[in-house]
Order: sequence, then C-alpha cells, then structure tokens
Amino acid sequence: MRGGQIIREARKRAGLTQVELAERLDTTQSAIARMEAGGTEPSFTRVAEAVRACGVELVPHLARLDDADWSVASTNRTISIDERARRHAAALRFARAAREAMARG
Amino acid sequence: MDEPAFGPEEILRVLEAHGVGCVLIGGFAAVIHGSPYLTNDVDIVPADDPENLRRLSDALRELHAKVWTASEPQGIAFDHSPKSLGEVRVWNLVTDHGRLDLTFAPSGTDGYADLVRDATHLLVLGVGVNVASLADIIRSKEAADRDKDRLVLPVLRRLAEES
Repeated sequence: MRGGQIIREARKRAGLTQVELAERLDTTQSAIARMEAGGTEPSFTRVAEAVRACGVELVPHLARLDDADWSVASTNRTISIDERARRHAAALRFARAAREAMARG
Repeated sequence: MDEPAFGPEEILRVLEAHGVGCVLIGGFAAVIHGSPYLTNDVDIVPADDPENLRRLSDALRELHAKVWTASEPQGIAFDHSPKSLGEVRVWNLVTDHGRLDLTFAPSGTDGYADLVRDATHLLVLGVGVNVASLADIIRSKEAADRDKDRLVLPVLRRLAEES
C-alpha cells in the first residue's frame, strides 16, 4: 500500500477535505492531491504526520509474508471482470455441492 | 431449508432494471477488483432520497426480498415502503437469488454520495453497476474491523498498491 493511499484513507475516515488537511499540515491542496494520487511518494515520517493530523494513529504491524492468497489475486488481475465473476460463481457452486455431499454423508 | 443459490448478477439486474441508484461495496465488489475471497452476499449502498427508495422498494418486491437471520436463513416476510426502508440504516435480506445487504452508511463512509464519487460504472456479466473504488472498500473494511475484514485486508491493500 502506498503512503498516499494511507493518507487518503485517514483523511476520508476523518471526514476532511484535501483543503482542510492541507491547512492542518501547512501545505497546499495540490500537494495533498499529488501524494494521494501517487504523483509524489511521501516519506514514512510525512505519512505518519498526515495521519496524525486526521486524528488517527499509524500503527505499523509486521506480519509473516503469505503469498498463497496473493497468488490467486494476481491471476485475477490478468483476467476480465466477467471471468472473475464467473470463476467466483463456479467456486461457490462447488462449495455448495461439497456441503450438500457432506450433509448426505 | 437452505438459502437460495447465490446469483449476484440476477440481483444486480433487477436493481438496474428498476433504476435503483446504488454503489456495490463489500466482498463481491472486492471480487470484481480481483479479490480471491469468496462471498455469499451482495452489499449495496443505496441513495436514500425518497424517489430512489421507491425504486428500491419496487425492486425488493420483484426479488421477493425477506429479512434474513441466522436462525431463519430462508427469510422472514416483511412489508416495506420507501419510508420504512429509509428508517432502518442496515437491512440483511435474502432474495430469490441469495443474500442482499443494504447499508445506507457503511462503516467509515458517509454513504452513497461519498462512495459514488470514486466509484466506477462497470458492466459485470452484462449488468451495469457502480462499483466502489478499492480504496473505499479498504476504508470501509478498516473501519468495520471484523475478523473477516482483517483477513482480507492485506491482499486488498496489495491489489490497491499494484493497480
């Protein structure tokens, strides 16, 4: 997740406009917009500062890397939306059939 | 008795046919963005103006929507009007095509006007639907902070990062 996305999430959660956040950080609305859109990449310190200005705390959390689910997600990114929906429906049908088979013993 | 088989495109097709203004959010919207996690319901955020609530009420009639509870998964019949729909902020329903949850202001958001701004209008299996942005889906799940939300957030964040 990019730093700008964290700032946007914190700002939205606080119900602030970009202008209001810019005022709190003594910067400009366009600077906030660039960070949120990925045009500039803020430092970790800047992200933490922006998040705090939204009344939220940035709490870093380290977790063991598990790529199993990402493997499916990255495949999904390469197929069409309709195909994603169809594969999802097929997986649900399979799960339902399996549950019914289990119930029948 | 079991819930009906999940047919999200059928639910969305009826909502579209009635002209219901809404944004798709939650697990199925995440699937459209590439999430690998299965979901059994459609979550929508309808606009809550009286005219839209009338269209929503008509669509729910066509879908034979009933109130879903864990103990009554086939649903409990309920009467509804545009006014009564708008008075309750969260509806957990079951329709002829599976579960449909209506939420007027999902966690961490201000509702339809807030979400439609960054939503994308997409054709999904031939049905036009406003799909919430991945950033807004993440925002809502962050705020809801249920176990099932925490489980999916790392992959959704990575999808957002790489999109």
